[in-house]
Amino acid sequence: MRRYIFGVLVLIFPITANAEITFSQLTQISTAPEMLEGRFSQEKYLSALDATLKSTGVFTYQRGKSIHWEILDPIQNELVISPVAITSKQADGELLRLDTGVNPTVMVLGEIFFSVLTAEWEVLADYFELSGEIEGQQWHAVLVPIDQSVMQVFSRIELKGGILLREIILFENGGDRTTIHLDKQR
Amino acid sequence: MKGNLFTLKSIALGWLLLVAAVTVLALRQGPAFDSSILSLLPKSDQQPLVQGAIEQMSKDFSGRLILVLSGSNDQKLRAAVELMARKLALLPDVSKVYWQVEGSEVTGLREELYPYRFSVIDTGIRNLLLAGEYQQISDRALVRLYGPLSTGGNSIIEDPFGLYFELNVNRSSELNIQISNSLLRLINTELPSYLLILTLKGDPFSSELQHRVLGAIAAQHSLMPATVKTIGMSGMLLHAAAGARQAKSEISTIGFGSLAGIVIAMLLVFRRFKPLLLLLFPVVVGCIFASAMVLLIFPRVHLVTFAFGAGLVGVSIDYALHFLCERRVSAADQVLHKILPGLLLGLFSSVIAYAAQALTPFPGLRQMATFSVLGLCASWLTVVLWFPLVTRSDTEQALGFADKLDSLRGKFPKLATNPGLLLLLLIILGLAMVSIWNSSSQDDIRLLQTSPASLLAQEQDLHRALGMSSSSRFLLISANTLEASLQKEEQLVTELESLQAEGVIGGFQALSSTLPSLERQSENFGLVEKLYSNQLAFLYRLIQVPQSGLSHALSIREKANELRLTPKIWYQLAASKERNNHIVQQTGLSAVTVIRLTGELSSLAKRKLSALSSTMPGVVFVDQVQNISDLMGKYRVQVVTWIILAYLFVLIALVMRYKRQVWRIVMPPLLASVITLAILVQLEQGINLFHMMALILVLGIGLDMGIFLMETDEAPHTWLAVSLSTFTSLLAFGLLALSDTPVLHHFGLTVAMGLTLVWLFAPLMRRH
Repeated sequence: MRRYIFGVLVLIFPITANAEITFSQLTQISTAPEMLEGRFSQEKYLSALDATLKSTGVFTYQRGKSIHWEILDPIQNELVISPVAITSKQADGELLRLDTGVNPTVMVLGEIFFSVLTAEWEVLADYFELSGEIEGQQWHAVLVPIDQSVMQVFSRIELKGGILLREIILFENGGDRTTIHLDKQR
Repeated sequence: MKGNLFTLKSIALGWLLLVAAVTVLALRQGPAFDSSILSLLPKSDQQPLVQGAIEQMSKDFSGRLILVLSGSNDQKLRAAVELMARKLALLPDVSKVYWQVEGSEVTGLREELYPYRFSVIDTGIRNLLLAGEYQQISDRALVRLYGPLSTGGNSIIEDPFGLYFELNVNRSSELNIQISNSLLRLINTELPSYLLILTLKGDPFSSELQHRVLGAIAAQHSLMPATVKTIGMSGMLLHAAAGARQAKSEISTIGFGSLAGIVIAMLLVFRRFKPLLLLLFPVVVGCIFASAMVLLIFPRVHLVTFAFGAGLVGVSIDYALHFLCERRVSAADQVLHKILPGLLLGLFSSVIAYAAQALTPFPGLRQMATFSVLGLCASWLTVVLWFPLVTRSDTEQALGFADKLDSLRGKFPKLATNPGLLLLLLIILGLAMVSIWNSSSQDDIRLLQTSPASLLAQEQDLHRALGMSSSSRFLLISANTLEASLQKEEQLVTELESLQAEGVIGGFQALSSTLPSLERQSENFGLVEKLYSNQLAFLYRLIQVPQSGLSHALSIREKANELRLTPKIWYQLAASKERNNHIVQQTGLSAVTVIRLTGELSSLAKRKLSALSSTMPGVVFVDQVQNISDLMGKYRVQVVTWIILAYLFVLIALVMRYKRQVWRIVMPPLLASVITLAILVQLEQGINLFHMMALILVLGIGLDMGIFLMETDEAPHTWLAVSLSTFTSLLAFGLLALSDTPVLHHFGLTVAMGLTLVWLFAPLMRRH
């Protein structure tokens, strides 16, 4: 098994309107293996407090089946996202369960997160307009929602990576921002 | 003699003038028709509230057309949906096409309840609060803060526990749809599918409207790319169109067939057109007179009355044929004298049988009885008053057909001299009785459905996919005020939730879930207050919110203390659009709301729901499907009871005239009815109301046959008359057995079998 370690990109690329980037190009460059595991670190910027909440943990995913997102610090919680439900488990049992079948909002959120993490660009094409840049094997994609229900939550999503996805930034409407770094993936 | 004729003429003319006058009166008053099945319910059972609720719910169904397009290529499909919507919106019959939701509306739906987040809260959160599980709620908030899924812009200060997020995320829509790129997309379908709802401007029963709307959809569909596959549709329009199509094809086949058969038979026997016209004349006069009279007597006349009433008046063809056949062998001034006793007795027996229905408590049967008694009398009078006049110059000439038919009759064995035949009949009768005894009745609402099974199945699939609530089964809640009604709903919802958790019911939609009672809102506010004092400081310490943040958050909640979602405010919101039809009635004195139920209801569910509603005053579980089935069962029992009583009465009258010979009159229709019933039990799933209605006709024609034969001592021309009458009735009603409409099919099949049997049995009972 090969191991990819990528440096963190600090530079934010300028976004041009006529940037030459398409979802099919991204499909060619990036891959999403059947199974992947790795570490993540997340920074959530809360605009109301002008503060950032940091958390770290591990994740695994099985393509098309489920994502296990285990927060280890500062709280312990395991989030399981599958096409049918989003469940959150704590040491003392299931904290909450949201079925996508009965809940359109949850479905869209789950579907987007799933697609982002497993690089299912054709699904993302339903919800977003793409712009960004490619330099060799490195890419930076900016997704602006075209779907009303997604627009309600995100103003835009930025993704960076090479063969594998490396960084996700979710820009929320209220000014909050979630930055996730994926690390030590194998 | 001349003076006598003049008097007869003036009486006959006077009678027609009376019919004309009544008709004019009725026309001036204007017809008031009714097709609601509910108005057939006895007055005491008919709760105006229930009726109002049902009418409101069925109005939604009849005034709109639901359309679902699906296909594998989402992009092409979306384009097709848009094109379809734009094309349909141009039609003059369509007042609105709902197919997309504007961004502002989505924002409105998402934001409008935000100010009330402390008093209008999610049920799950409320249950946690009630259980004192405050920790869980703040744990959920922490997962949102440290987890990757967005909370959707909710502020850590304004709503630290994400109460509004929880409310929004769990808010369910009336239908299984989500807004996807502003289109209405069905949830949980294999292929992408989108919904369009057309609101019709006109009457869905108008054939031009059906033609334009369905034509436009078909035309648009043919232009669509091949990937856009199935179109699911639902709406009264489709049923009306299917009904019209079926009626048209049946009128042109069954209708033409029976008319041609009658014309050919009459021409063959009489070799003239005049008898044919004479035959129709009394029936037409009878129906016109009866229609006019019921319109004058009853405030609203049910369409069913006309359908079956006209059928029963058809018996009067007996009188006309009896007269015409007798006229061929008797002089003009002799005919009436000869056959009047028979005609009178025939009329008497039928009138008694029909009139008995008027004594039942059912408005439908009363109207039908009035119609058929009046119609029959009018037809009878027309025969008796007009036929002597219009056949005065006809020649006496025996009909050749009478002899042929008579010799055929001669070939039948005679029951009186044939013990073997008697034994056989007794065995058949015994078997028939056993068959009837072991039968069950069929009062299913499906009997009343006239649409093709494929349409019903298609529509049911669509309703299931959309998660549409039933418009015929619901809970009705009434109270003095809307607030009281909502409070009652909330009590009920707790019970419904546990029924849903047990899997007894599929789901439900209540107004109180989006508009909680003010009492409930105050309670919620108090619960949230406890959550804040219990958990907020702890949560903020964990995520290091400064002290100023805590006091800010607390003051925001306190400021909302007086803020409540009142019905008045709610009505202004976008959210009310979807649920305001849950309010059936709201006046200064009362408020009535409905809780809609989704999914199939098992009999256990129905039992539990009625048990539940019986424990709470002001709550009724309305099961319209069951109500109608019960109604048809009650009608069936009433019809049977009154027929038996009526015929016992007729029997007494007949015994007085015919003494021991009476069995020759009574046995053919009686045996035929019993055996027909026994065969129906085996052929169809059970005996229903429409079988019984048809048996009245069979009994009426059968008794007339026996009486006329007895009166003329079984003369060949009388046998011809009653045979012709049986034959024409068979053609007129029996052919309905071929109809695809259940009601007509059952009626026709019974008449066909019953009359054939009566005709076969009558010769067996002959004297000579």
